[in-house]
Amino acid sequence: MNLRYVFKELTHQKRRTVISVLGLSIGIALFVILNALSLAYHEAARAPLKEVGADITVQRPGNVPQELAGAVFPCSAVTIDEEEIEDIKAIPGIRGMGKAVLLWIFDPNRAWIVLGIEQNNPVGPSILKNFITAGCYLETGKPEVLVETAYARQFGIRLGDHVNVAGRSYPVVGLIDASHASKIAVANLYLPLAEVQSIAAASKNLQSVSPFAGGDANLLFIRADQDRITTVAASVKAILGGKATVATPESFLKLLGSLFALSDKFTLAASIIAMIIAILIAFKTMAGNVAERAREIGVMKAVGWTHRNVTMQLLAESVIQGFAAGLLGLLIAQAAAVALGFMTVNIPIPWEMSPTPHFLPGGGDPLFKTLRLPVHIPWSLAAFALLLSVIIGGLTGALLGRHISKIKPSEVLRHE
Amino acid sequence: MNNKSDILVGIDLAKTYGELAVVKGVSLAIREGEFVSLVGKSGCGKTTLLSILSGLEHPTRGQAFLNGKEITGASEDELALFRRENVGFIFQSFNLIPTLSAWENVALPLFPIQMSEAERRRRATELLDQMELAHRLEHLPAALSGGEKQRVAIARALINHPKIVFADEPTGNLDTATGDAIMAILNGLHRKQGMTILMVTHESELAKTADRVLHMQDGEVLS
Repeated sequence: MNLRYVFKELTHQKRRTVISVLGLSIGIALFVILNALSLAYHEAARAPLKEVGADITVQRPGNVPQELAGAVFPCSAVTIDEEEIEDIKAIPGIRGMGKAVLLWIFDPNRAWIVLGIEQNNPVGPSILKNFITAGCYLETGKPEVLVETAYARQFGIRLGDHVNVAGRSYPVVGLIDASHASKIAVANLYLPLAEVQSIAAASKNLQSVSPFAGGDANLLFIRADQDRITTVAASVKAILGGKATVATPESFLKLLGSLFALSDKFTLAASIIAMIIAILIAFKTMAGNVAERAREIGVMKAVGWTHRNVTMQLLAESVIQGFAAGLLGLLIAQAAAVALGFMTVNIPIPWEMSPTPHFLPGGGDPLFKTLRLPVHIPWSLAAFALLLSVIIGGLTGALLGRHISKIKPSEVLRHE
Repeated sequence: MNNKSDILVGIDLAKTYGELAVVKGVSLAIREGEFVSLVGKSGCGKTTLLSILSGLEHPTRGQAFLNGKEITGASEDELALFRRENVGFIFQSFNLIPTLSAWENVALPLFPIQMSEAERRRRATELLDQMELAHRLEHLPAALSGGEKQRVAIARALINHPKIVFADEPTGNLDTATGDAIMAILNGLHRKQGMTILMVTHESELAKTADRVLHMQDGEVLS
């Protein structure tokens, strides 16, 4: 192999080189962008749960009392008892768990959506501390309340005011803007978990349909090993029963409905098709190029190049073309990724995960988490695509080189 | 081999393509330092005979010895290596690589050999200087005249210090004046450097400049 000759051949035969490189690069770009899109949909599907600091959320549907008065559970989230919570905690693959209690509280003059949260548990709605717009976050051990900003504005609630909830008075220590967060853990009031558990336990109305003790909850947030999310979700269902609502990135992905989101098999099939097209283009153009050079190869062999010398020379040329095509393909894919990044995607939030009662204004409206499609090309994908391109180039070159180098110089030089 | 001074020997060489016999039982010997012309009409089999004698083609029958080695039974790669070390070729249509400069074309037989680029360039430059092409080192074939191309081809044939040069119609694509100049170079190589040359031509006048003329007709060497 002579690199000077390789370089000269590729630079002087620009048309040949450009067609080969461009053909292969389009296939590589298609491969990369298809996979980047698939990854983007997967990442988008994680967003609603990520924003509540979890990989999985768990709730259990049940009944609403006949009379909506005092503290009640939404029909989509009734008691998960302490024993069940401990069983779930023991499932292999779980890295952390948070719990919460979501209540609808119907006081004589007002209805509240109240969420009891573990203030300092990094798994779960405590992540909302990042959205404090005024005042401070809940202090451990103190019966304080955070009020959602829009709700506070609507009802004229200010910092330092006291709100009366289920007959108890709480000082407002902070305002929280949950509009940027997921729709899942949105409430009007955020109280320490123990306070809300106590309110729930004391509610006869609630106890009549769903017995609730001090250590129970009705919302669980689970962080799990990424490769075990599906099995953890299945184990949770096994503990709580088939009717439990276990939300995972996969379940959101199914709601998205996109082909990319629906099936990894689709992405795989489309990628394979893209690569087959790339290989065919590369093979056809390189085969044409090599055939054009039959006479040149005859001369090389006449002056003493062996079969291996010729093959290695053509192999080097095609590997370099493969590398160049890989780089160009990545550039094209990056440009496409930037363009696709302007697309927005609406992730439907299932009605049972919405905390707003369906009979209140806006409660029946379909909910969406809207976000820009997070299309980016991971280094691992880029490296794989580049390697793939070099391998395709190399294999093509080796095959063609092996074939053409068998040519007999006397056959191609015969015309004289 | 019949004689120690014979560098090239062919014994009962024959080549057929299907039913067509192109070379019919040719035997010949060329001594070291001899300039031999093989002359004959187009299609008489002289290029095929040259291909067999130079190891570019296997005969259907017979044996060929070049520099003491039987080449007729060798594999393609063995022949390639043998040609690299023992044989130089000059073709009618020059057969230069269009993407390589003049000096790189001359150095083409050296590319597969472990050798510094500086050494390759030095040897090519020296030969191109002998061919009065020192000013054309970096030019691509497309920028050279026919005579210049053939002089580059001659330099390429000499780069590996061959034992014998095979020239197939070396002036066939050149005008008379340029052809004469090329023949002068070949004669100079033969006279001054004692180079063994086997030249195929269909022009009797050119053939006469050689030490010996072999006439070929219908696949047979007549004299």
